[in-house]
Amino acid sequence: MIPLLFGISLVAFLIANAIPADPINANLPPNALNDEELIAAFRAKWGLDEPLHVQYITYITNVLQGDMGTSIKTRKPVADDIRQFLPATIELATLSIVIGLTMGISFGVISAVWQNTVVDYFVRVFALIGVSFPVFLLALIGLTIFHSELGLVGGPGRLDFIVRDPPKVTGLFTVDALLDGDFDKFRNALSHLILPSFVLGMFVSGIIARITRSSLLEVLNMDYMRTARSKGLSERVVVIRHGLSNALIPVVTIIGLSFGNLLAGAVLTESIFAWPGIGRYMFRASTAQDFPAIMGISMLIAVIYVIVNFVVDILYYFIDPRIRVA
Amino acid sequence: MTVPTARLESVAERPIALTPSSRREQAATVWYHLRKNPLVLVGLIIVIVWVLISLLAPTLAPFDPLQQDVSNRLQRPALFDSSQETDEEVTDATTHLLGTDELGRDILTRLLYGGRITIPAGIAVIIFGSIVGTLIGSLAGYLGGMWDEVFMRITELFMAFPTIILALAVTAALGSDIRNAIIALVVVWWPNYARLVRGLVLEVKTQDYVEAVRAIGAPGYYILLRTILPNSFAPAVVLATLDIGNAILVFAGLSFLGLGPEPSSPEWGKMVSIGIDFFDQWWMWLFPGIAIASLVMAFNFIGDGMRDILDPRTR
Repeated sequence: MIPLLFGISLVAFLIANAIPADPINANLPPNALNDEELIAAFRAKWGLDEPLHVQYITYITNVLQGDMGTSIKTRKPVADDIRQFLPATIELATLSIVIGLTMGISFGVISAVWQNTVVDYFVRVFALIGVSFPVFLLALIGLTIFHSELGLVGGPGRLDFIVRDPPKVTGLFTVDALLDGDFDKFRNALSHLILPSFVLGMFVSGIIARITRSSLLEVLNMDYMRTARSKGLSERVVVIRHGLSNALIPVVTIIGLSFGNLLAGAVLTESIFAWPGIGRYMFRASTAQDFPAIMGISMLIAVIYVIVNFVVDILYYFIDPRIRVA
Repeated sequence: MTVPTARLESVAERPIALTPSSRREQAATVWYHLRKNPLVLVGLIIVIVWVLISLLAPTLAPFDPLQQDVSNRLQRPALFDSSQETDEEVTDATTHLLGTDELGRDILTRLLYGGRITIPAGIAVIIFGSIVGTLIGSLAGYLGGMWDEVFMRITELFMAFPTIILALAVTAALGSDIRNAIIALVVVWWPNYARLVRGLVLEVKTQDYVEAVRAIGAPGYYILLRTILPNSFAPAVVLATLDIGNAILVFAGLSFLGLGPEPSSPEWGKMVSIGIDFFDQWWMWLFPGIAIASLVMAFNFIGDGMRDILDPRTR
């Protein structure tokens, strides 16, 4: 894990630096570009006048001491920025995964149990639509129908304009509002959270449904399924207890792998729903060539990726007794 | 030592000669599977239609995709708006079936032209991504040992970055235009192929016919390029066709974020992102969005069906 993190920091650093793009153009006002003195001061301030390897070593030393540098765009420490923007993404991603898993696994099971029927056909087409529709199109259609036309959910942003943020404890607005005992605020936060989560969840559910279906189909043909049936177990117990629990391993793997998809979707979803999360922060940083921020986010995402896949490994342990024995 | 090429080929590439009758059987099998998987057929038809539209866009399109007409800006689609029939302004030859955008450009025309950017871009990403991936993967698999370790660790490194984040970083650094968006996507795309091809090469490497070619005295590059790669290429080609839809989707996402073609270009993702500022003028974002979705869906229909055909377990 440590070498991977070093490698990722190096790749991010090289991409951020080895390419002929000048953060000066992106960050100084046009009328300052003729001012040699100002430019030199800017370079010195951000260490841009040092040779590359010195810059990298300085960066790594600072990161190890908990200092990820200062964002050129927001002029705040990157670590602070991450602390500010991460909770919004965690809130969005958690609900999306819950929605994606619920929809994906149920659709997958339905589709496998009624294989080659009309139901199966509909579910499969639905799953294909889920993975084929651009996230931004789903988001726009969802906003038009459920926000503009029906008024069922809140629009972009985490709360209505007139509602103030709940007192910060976890940074998750729904949780913080509940902790504060403010149910109106909770409802408001939830009404803004639900649509982006559904959009993002749809995106993940397509993949999960597809994997669940093929994995369960394989399991349903196993000898032990016939054994379970011949013991006289009800079809529900056979499918859920004997079938699904054996079919879940590839599904869990896919959850770990689709984490990247989720983040990619989050960049798009957050930009449409004006969701002040990490995805939007990363997007703004990259258009401003804000290298400290890009580096910081890349490191953060790499760490999360490693953690997610570690959790997936632990989940295997619970799902598959064979791994426990070995 | 020189090796008679003809003999090498007969050993390496034609382990089983296809008789005409088995070719006919193959065609029959393909047709059988197509009939059993109508979605593949639907996908194929949609893709072919989009390709034809893109090729014929200049003849099909009623307007010029870049021609602005500010007096007719933000017109509702004539196709869905019966009230416009009575509007005297629209009775002349300037009906815009799918409406116009904020500069009065015809949406339908821009849609027809959009495929000329998106389809080649998606295919280019796949072709270059698979070439780079195949190169690295086959070297890793063939050389083995330390080289395998080094190449595969680098591959994993690139896989640990979520696609769009890495692409964002690359396009942001290179500057945003179509070429750079494609380069960015190639950077994120090759690792899948590297992994797949490495696995295939490792498998093929141990086959008897490879041993036979080596016994004849063929040099290493010959074994890799002429014997191993042709025999491990098929799954990579399959992955590539399944992947075009994905590549198009991510390309559209990048260009939606403003990191693709220039703003005036009739690219679908770009059109949607401009349309967002005119949220109530739904025709500005809905039609290009559906264009992307239909094309990606068509590729996924084909891909899904191919997977069913190739993997009997899911049948």
